[in-house]
Amino acid sequence: MAEVKSADFKHAAGRALRDEKLQHALDHVMEHFVGARANVIEADFGDESWEAMRTRAAAIKQSTLEHLDYYLDMVDKSVRRNGGHVYFADDAAQANAIVLDIAKRNGVKTVIKSKSMVSEEMGVNHVLEREGIEPVETDLGEYIIQLAGETPFHIIAPAMHKTRQEVSSLFQEWLKTAPTQDIKRLCVYARDALREKFAAADMGISGANFIVAETGTVCLVTNEGNGRMTTSAPRIHVVLAGMEKIVPAIEDLALFLRLLPRSATGQRITSYNTFVGGPRSPSDEDGPEEFHLVFVDNGRLNLLRDEVMREALRCIRCGACLNHCPVYQKVGGHAYGWVYSGPIGAVVTPPMTNMKVARELPYASTLCGKCKDVCPVKIDIPRLLLHLRHKVAEGTAGERSATWMERLFVGQWHGAMRSRRALEGKANLGRLLTRSFARGGKVRRLPFAPMVSGWTASRDFPAPAQKSFARLWREELSHESGSANGTEQR
Amino acid sequence: MAPTPEEHSNKDAFILRVRKALGRTEPIVHMPDHPSLKSNAVRQQEKVRTVIARNEARRSQTLDRLAKTAAAASWNVRRAGDAEEAASIVAEIAQQSGVKNLVRSAEDVFKRVNIDATLRSVGVSPAILASGRTRSRGALRDMAFRADMGVTGVSYAIAETASCAVTPRRGVARLASLAPSSLVLLIEPEQVLESLDDFFAITRLNRMQARGRTVNYFNFISGPSRTADIEQTLTIGVHGPGEVHMVILG
Repeated sequence: MAEVKSADFKHAAGRALRDEKLQHALDHVMEHFVGARANVIEADFGDESWEAMRTRAAAIKQSTLEHLDYYLDMVDKSVRRNGGHVYFADDAAQANAIVLDIAKRNGVKTVIKSKSMVSEEMGVNHVLEREGIEPVETDLGEYIIQLAGETPFHIIAPAMHKTRQEVSSLFQEWLKTAPTQDIKRLCVYARDALREKFAAADMGISGANFIVAETGTVCLVTNEGNGRMTTSAPRIHVVLAGMEKIVPAIEDLALFLRLLPRSATGQRITSYNTFVGGPRSPSDEDGPEEFHLVFVDNGRLNLLRDEVMREALRCIRCGACLNHCPVYQKVGGHAYGWVYSGPIGAVVTPPMTNMKVARELPYASTLCGKCKDVCPVKIDIPRLLLHLRHKVAEGTAGERSATWMERLFVGQWHGAMRSRRALEGKANLGRLLTRSFARGGKVRRLPFAPMVSGWTASRDFPAPAQKSFARLWREELSHESGSANGTEQR
Repeated sequence: MAPTPEEHSNKDAFILRVRKALGRTEPIVHMPDHPSLKSNAVRQQEKVRTVIARNEARRSQTLDRLAKTAAAASWNVRRAGDAEEAASIVAEIAQQSGVKNLVRSAEDVFKRVNIDATLRSVGVSPAILASGRTRSRGALRDMAFRADMGVTGVSYAIAETASCAVTPRRGVARLASLAPSSLVLLIEPEQVLESLDDFFAITRLNRMQARGRTVNYFNFISGPSRTADIEQTLTIGVHGPGEVHMVILG
């Protein structure tokens, strides 16, 4: 499984903020995606119908999740009826073993891959390489980051942080091509290099955008044509899919194919949609002779089990929440430290990987709610982030997540709030201590570093009054009660 | 490394865990309430009859709409009055593109639109991309990769999104509409549908009536192959055809 580096979020975010080139790329891209999405929705539907579509899609996905055991069985039966094979993998290791087994059984030497986020979770490329099998990413962005040895920066634009110069030197190093500033030329280099791989590959691995239960149809949404190539040229096709990708009926695709591309890139539809449910028929001219569908859990059960978090599995991976997030717009994708980034990454990474390692992520949000507004399946991301913050604060069994200082403070607070006498006693102590640092009615510096000194690092704290209100009331004000001008006393 | 689960060996345990996570102990016996799943073959047939009648009644508007959405999606759209004109348009496109190796598929539309003759008249000799008895998988692929133009028919064309549904089968290779750098699709009027909903309603019925002979593969082609993966700059023609032509009969 891909390494989880989310514990380093704060430092990684800091590094990203100081990276000028990256900030420039982020500004440019986000502006583009946000504008294109708004325009196409306005032109084709308007807010009201778009809202109705989102509501329907959310309901379909939620209902599918609530009956997921039923639909998993249905997909299995449909795909087998089509002549394909279905596997169920609990985790990344098991899924990798299944892929490797299929590859070895067939003497596979080269694997071409169409984009799959699940395969990123699995780290299947490393597993194949270790066994002497060459995996080749064929989505241009994925190909670039594979050559660079990096992970995707954005769910639908994996190499958006790379400049043309960087791509040119990568190609120069790996493909021995001449340096160029011409993006069209760079695409031709990639096309030519990958054509050789398409011709040589024995196996194609793809992800799945949707899997239709009633027909066993896997739907792929692409723009470049690599998805079609992967499902046409090699002899074997393997689909890696999260178990939440199911929609019940083929007619549901009309709705989801309207929502996904508009939310993702602002396109009315992508250039290609591939629908594949099994191997080629014997009379077909070309296409894979074997079709394998691998369902992967890999931590998704942790989301399914939690009734609050379950809705996160409705996600159709469009990336709209990333594009609209003020935090993602500044820190970019790599800071999140795992496969999924942005608001949805902050939601799914802790439960899917390790609550402790990824505990910073639920806080990587201003809770502005934009992610919720643009989500095509209406995932209430801010609510889920608050739920996760709650869990982080509570700590899991056997480990305390709060620092000793937080525990001391909350313990004292708890004691103080239980009785009036205790509260006043502690308040008096605090007042005395704080007043001893006051000069001219202001506290300019509190010395108990690092517990409270942060409060006065950039601002002055007014010195507390000599007497508390409660004491004032007891000694003076209560005698005035009933008098109309009682407050004049002071 | 974990032992490899054989196909299905983990299915029951996997599904049981999912069920448990959902807080249930018993499997679901009745199909969940989902409108587009419940409709049986008879009702689906009724639905499709309405869809087809509506599309017939609005054919000319839908053809206009297709031409418009297609142009917006970077298709080069040409409309032909009859089969003869369609054939000469294909020849004209091939000539303008300076085509050397042209492959076509072998659908019924080519019985009506005789492109072979018109192409030969402009010095292009089309080859049918089909494996037949002699050609191997590799030979067919090489031929497709060498071609610079592919000409095929469609199963349906959807006006809403300018999507052409292409269904590979005997005589229609997957690579014919994918590998060459330019693509010409021939569309007949009765193949044009208004919406994605229409298309999937028909697809569902076809499947219900297929009785075992299922179609495992089809594509929507909705424009040129494109990418914006380098500096968000739109670039046409990565793995698929960068130049796409739609020839609409009618």
